[in-house]
Amino acid sequence: MSRLSAVLGSDFVYRFRRDPIAIVAFAVTAAFMLAALLAPVLSPMNPHDPAQLDIMNSEIPPVWQSGGDPAFLLGTDDQGRDMLSAILYGLRISITIGIFAVMVQMALGIVIGLMSGYLGGKVDAFFMRLADIQLAMSTLMLAIVALAVFKAAFGAELFSDMAIIMLVLVIGIAEWPQYARTIRASVLAERKKEYVDAARVIGLSAPTIMRRHILPNTLSPLLVISTVQVANAIISEAALSFLGLGMPVTMPSLGSLISAGFAYIFSGSWWITTIPSIVLIVLILSINLLGDWLRDVLNPRLYKG
Amino acid sequence: MTFTLKSAATGALMACAVAVGADVAGVAPADAKTLRMAYDADPVSLDPQEQLSGGTLEMAHMVFDPLVRFTQDMAFEPRLAESWERIDDTTMRFHLREGVTFHSGNPFTAEDVVFTFNRMKKSPDFKGLFEPFEAAKAIDDYTVDLITTEPYPLVLNMATYIFPMDKEFYTGTDENGKPKDIIIKHGDAFATSHESGTGPFVVTAREQGVRVEFTRFADYWDTESPGNVTEIIFTPIKEDPTRVASLLSGGVDYIKPVPPNDLERLGNDPNVNLVTMGGTRIITLQMNQKRVEAFKDPRVRQAIVYAINNAGIVDKIMKGFGTVAGQQSAPGMVGYNPDLTPRYDLAKAKALMKEAGYEDGFSVTMMTPNNRYVNDAKIAEAVAAMLARINIKVDLTTLPKAQYWPEFDVRAADIMMIGWHADTEDSANYTEFLTMTPNADTGFGQYNAGNYSNPKVDEMILQSQTMVDLEARAALLQDVERILYDDAAFVPLHWQNLSWAARKGVHIEDIVNVMDFPYLGDLVIDD
Repeated sequence: MSRLSAVLGSDFVYRFRRDPIAIVAFAVTAAFMLAALLAPVLSPMNPHDPAQLDIMNSEIPPVWQSGGDPAFLLGTDDQGRDMLSAILYGLRISITIGIFAVMVQMALGIVIGLMSGYLGGKVDAFFMRLADIQLAMSTLMLAIVALAVFKAAFGAELFSDMAIIMLVLVIGIAEWPQYARTIRASVLAERKKEYVDAARVIGLSAPTIMRRHILPNTLSPLLVISTVQVANAIISEAALSFLGLGMPVTMPSLGSLISAGFAYIFSGSWWITTIPSIVLIVLILSINLLGDWLRDVLNPRLYKG
Repeated sequence: MTFTLKSAATGALMACAVAVGADVAGVAPADAKTLRMAYDADPVSLDPQEQLSGGTLEMAHMVFDPLVRFTQDMAFEPRLAESWERIDDTTMRFHLREGVTFHSGNPFTAEDVVFTFNRMKKSPDFKGLFEPFEAAKAIDDYTVDLITTEPYPLVLNMATYIFPMDKEFYTGTDENGKPKDIIIKHGDAFATSHESGTGPFVVTAREQGVRVEFTRFADYWDTESPGNVTEIIFTPIKEDPTRVASLLSGGVDYIKPVPPNDLERLGNDPNVNLVTMGGTRIITLQMNQKRVEAFKDPRVRQAIVYAINNAGIVDKIMKGFGTVAGQQSAPGMVGYNPDLTPRYDLAKAKALMKEAGYEDGFSVTMMTPNNRYVNDAKIAEAVAAMLARINIKVDLTTLPKAQYWPEFDVRAADIMMIGWHADTEDSANYTEFLTMTPNADTGFGQYNAGNYSNPKVDEMILQSQTMVDLEARAALLQDVERILYDDAAFVPLHWQNLSWAARKGVHIEDIVNVMDFPYLGDLVIDD
């Protein structure tokens, strides 16, 4: 109980409650996460089950437009897929890919960043040059090349079965330098401090010092960068799907929904592409606002007291 | 930032096309007219005999000339043959035009026709069409006889497919030591990338999948042609909305096909010249009996036909821009059997699956092109959903046509899509290529990816080739359609309508036709 009140009374929560943008951004992000989590319960149909599609229901406008059908609140796409269900399931896929891709980035970034920062010397030079090289190429370019090669080598059939795993790996591997560099910078600042010397003097091994003593002190920049990176990963996934290198049309993510509806945007069926786009924009915006707020709160230099 | 990557690339490409077009217009004489056109795909080869496809024949009508061709109202029009006469039951004599030159500068003679005919007999795709023909014989420099083995009613129809090729140009060996006249499907042969025809346009630059440039042939024989286009820049644009947008923005002058969901918008636009026509191209799905045991059971094939709501596809995906089909022959053709109506009945489909012992269904692979037929990929996706209802799980792959045809030729999937337009404008042609027993020697069944084989059908079609009693022949061809229907030899979807659109002042209405081979040599562009 006292711990809970300590959290509630903390400066962090105090500042959160005083900032309406943070509250709204948090609420929207939480709502999207919840909707994604509960998609099977909330959706009127399972958009991944082709047997539930009926071509005769295709291109029904959203319910508030004339010709709308109350059974399809946000209308249907060109195959008769309920847009609301498709968006909920798409959100689920997009957020899953975003979070797992960031976990891959984080794992790689933390290991490499800690080693570079703590060990220094040749190890540091090697990994940081590698990061420089990778940063010189855009994430998307790397991802497009990797996915296109995979698709050509193993066929589109296997590709669509493996799409989620491939996207997580590709986006995860392509963005590790962001993490590695942030962690390395924090480690460089920490390793000179007395507590690290003290740990070394009592004979602890390097891995233990890195893990138990330095890592916890680098967590706040990690938290900030993670929120931004989740948003980035979701955007990368949407972009790749839009280009036809991501989720297949039969298992659409937000990006593939936007891409599929693109053909109809001029011919009246605006909702197929517009509604998923709005969802994507609102989701990214709220995650980014949350990330900005976190950075402000956790950065002592910006601390206004 | 990333969402515009694809359209930015297309935009840049179009900007280049516009820039180059403007350049040329700037230096050329005042009467120079450039046509910038965009189809969904560019021809896969410059060899008019490599692949029997719409794309190849469109190219052939630009770069080569046939002996005769169909006019818009389906009459025969003399081209390289000035006149023709029947000598006896099996011989047709063609009198050739004099003073015609090939793009290479070589004069056109009867020898070139004989060379072309003999090469056609060796082409895996075309030899089926020319199976009833025995030989072409040069009588003198400008007279050639086409001889059939039996009396054959469709000699002139077939002459529309003889595009004389330059014998001298295509004789010898290329730098790789391969004969210049060799036909390599989807490969790299001399004729794939070099041309010398007699047609109105010379290919001046070609980058497969990116851009083809044509210039009007200075010594073109047909000086009476009203056509005034001096240069064509052909850019394939696969994405429907991008193609339409580039016409509307003035990036291109002429597009084909027009996606059904944009027909209304283009038709209402005062600056667009939209032309549509009912077509006879049947879109079908073939179920490969060699790959899938279950497809050997006619009840399973019937169940699939019953499960596919092709009326819904025409209504919703094609926006009514097509005619629902229950058979191959389109209404108005001799083999059209009015009793064979489209079948869609989900309950019946389920019952048939149960009867055949496949109540729990099975998994199949399906492959379709995504830039060959109007809305092909969307149709495939809808079909996959419909088959899920009778517990057939479909793994669908869609490919651009340049990659699709090689896969089709090796029958790479259990269900494959093929659209067919009767080359002879006659019903038997559909069956000869799509449903007769595949035979590499005769070329019959060359596009039968279902491996359907029925000796009775084969026999009836062979019989129809020599029948001169047209009424009995029609009855026979209608019986063939009945057998195929009862056997559910393939899944008929619809006959695809045709559509072209250009900016005002580009008179495409005079040069397009039901075969979908626009005669661009005769195209007139207003000042």
